[in-house]
Amino acid sequence: MVVLNERRGAAPAAPRRPAASPDRRRSRRRRGWLTPYLFMLPGVALFGVFILFPIVQALQMSLYDWNILRGAASDFIGLDNYVRAFTDDRFWLSLSNSGIYMVLTVPPQIVLGLAVAMLLRSKAPAQPLFRVLFYLPVVTSWVVVSLLFKYLFADQGLVNFALGDVLHITAGDTSWLSGRWTGLLAICALGVWKGVGWSMMIFLAALQGVPQSLEEAASMDGANWWQRFRVVTLPAIWPAMLFVIVMLVIGGFNVFTSVLLMTAGGPGGQTEVLLTYMYQQAFSNLDFGYGSALAVILTVIVFIISAVQLRVFRDRGES
Amino acid sequence: MRHSRFALAGALTVAGALILSGCSSSPSAGTTDAPVTLTFWGTYGNGGNSAQTTVLENELIPAFEKANPGITVDYVDMPYDGLKQKLTTSAAGGELPDLVRSDIGWVAQFAQLGVFKQLDGTMPGFEDLSKAVYPGTLVTTSWNGHYYGLPLDTNTRVLISNQKALSAAGMTAPPATFDEMRAMASKLSGTGVSAFADSGLNAWNVMPWIWSAGGDITNADFTKSTGYLDSDKSVAGIQLLVDLYKEGAIPNLITGNTGATSTSDGLPSGSYATVLDGPWMKAIWQGQYPDFAPVYSPVPAGAGGSISVVGGESIVVSEATQHADAAYKFVEFTQSEDYQLGMAGTGQMTVKPEFADKQAAIDPSFKTFSTQLETARARLPIPQASQVDTILNTELVPAFTGSVTVKDALTSAAKQIDVLLAAKK
Repeated sequence: MVVLNERRGAAPAAPRRPAASPDRRRSRRRRGWLTPYLFMLPGVALFGVFILFPIVQALQMSLYDWNILRGAASDFIGLDNYVRAFTDDRFWLSLSNSGIYMVLTVPPQIVLGLAVAMLLRSKAPAQPLFRVLFYLPVVTSWVVVSLLFKYLFADQGLVNFALGDVLHITAGDTSWLSGRWTGLLAICALGVWKGVGWSMMIFLAALQGVPQSLEEAASMDGANWWQRFRVVTLPAIWPAMLFVIVMLVIGGFNVFTSVLLMTAGGPGGQTEVLLTYMYQQAFSNLDFGYGSALAVILTVIVFIISAVQLRVFRDRGES
Repeated sequence: MRHSRFALAGALTVAGALILSGCSSSPSAGTTDAPVTLTFWGTYGNGGNSAQTTVLENELIPAFEKANPGITVDYVDMPYDGLKQKLTTSAAGGELPDLVRSDIGWVAQFAQLGVFKQLDGTMPGFEDLSKAVYPGTLVTTSWNGHYYGLPLDTNTRVLISNQKALSAAGMTAPPATFDEMRAMASKLSGTGVSAFADSGLNAWNVMPWIWSAGGDITNADFTKSTGYLDSDKSVAGIQLLVDLYKEGAIPNLITGNTGATSTSDGLPSGSYATVLDGPWMKAIWQGQYPDFAPVYSPVPAGAGGSISVVGGESIVVSEATQHADAAYKFVEFTQSEDYQLGMAGTGQMTVKPEFADKQAAIDPSFKTFSTQLETARARLPIPQASQVDTILNTELVPAFTGSVTVKDALTSAAKQIDVLLAAKK
């Protein structure tokens, strides 16, 4: 505030006196050094208030037996919440379920997204329509599609009807949402269906940047479709691929709405993921200290995985 | 130029003075003479049901305001799922209302946090009011030996049957005992009709069977679960359900299959012969299954009799209120005949046995429920009630699917509940 006032007072005077004393020039240089930071201030302030402060607050809460009531004292318990997490079977179960979800949804989204993008790259009359249709799941609400998939995978749902009465693959009486693996499978199916459009869009944009001449040259040299894809297209879109992988892995660990609405973590907590478990601890048990500790652990895990990915893939991309 | 600058300064001064005086006028509302506005949060309108909010806002609140000049009540309706979160964030932000219609399951939790006001010893006339309600409902407002609210409306679960399914099993009346339940299940085997269905293994779902079998979840002063939840009697109550589940007489809806047919659809459509449910189902079925005539009867009796579980809401005063005396007056008003029977007309059961007959005159289907309420019991009035539900679900699902025995499942659950009980003080 002091800095701002000083500037406002001094600024109009500066152009009128070209021959400034050395003292004044030095102070102007100092002010010049400040200018970019002043321009950054609004953005940094917003980031600080809405992102950084909550993160620091969560970190602080995770070290306390936190009392939510305003003004109430909370007991400092050090790392007890973290120790509790590492000895909590449900934490490990939900962490492994989050990991399973990530492993089962990321590769299909990349493969299918890239396949659809390759198909939609060619100029065809209905191409814009298909782009919209594939992207539509991305922009629909998680709540709506979670309920939709819950009904699709219900005992008397369309999936059982298709598998049993139409295709005769199963007896058509699978209780998808009543077991850990079948439940996770249904949740993953939703994740892939909803996510393919997003990776498709990124790949489509990246494919626009692949030089036509390189592909043509490869064709002239007798490269078949697969060789052209592997040697020309894939290296050209590698930065986009890296971006998609990192973002999808982060998104995979953040699965929440679909689990909450499709199985609610059931049966008996078997399909609980880390975020639904955190939500339950914080908002159902009102144990905000433990909930915050789980949030911090998830952040650290995601941060480490992302950093490792960036390092590994960047090296591979360069080689 | 100079003139206008003076004018501007003058205008700013006046505006500032107005704003400041506006700000300073609000604390004076706390004095005795000034009119008082009580903010009251509730969930009466949940699910778009306007019958209860209409009676509350057009009849009951105006009657209270007329009898208590100077007090206005501002009722704010909240979605049921959102109220607990809203209370939590409001407690953290220091923005609590004066009165809350709280689910009975939250009272101990918020009382422990210091969000709700202790009423015994602070509210005039509390003793007499607390003696007039069903004992099972009063327990739900207690925490650590004190009371933090008064029951506002109550409900319980009774056995509701589909007459066609009963007839298919050759039964003229609903099963009245555990043995009759087993007999009905074997008669229905192979017909595709489940003898019984329920949607989970929370305390709300399993306690009627445990209590009716003569078992319990803890001792009387809520300090020990081992020796009670894993007693032979408690095991017998759960064993009935597990046996029926293994025979195929109970669908996997009970173990948490969210894709199974719900009890509210399965009973009227004839897939399920019996369910345990509350008085609110009548209105739902009238709308969706107008031809269905539910048959109400007590929870099947075991060695411990027929004992069900208490549900409902309590009226609580927030610790943050600036108008405690006015709030107490409204709490007292909710216990009056006008309020209790006014709400009974919209499907909310009274918490006072003295109004049971008049309530039955309004709606005869309440009769089975109010009889059941005389012996109905409360779930554990402890802040960790939601953790108890998680423990019961997690431990009991494997007992149903057959990987552990009921005895082992309940022993493990009792040990974990012991830890919660030890931590509650």
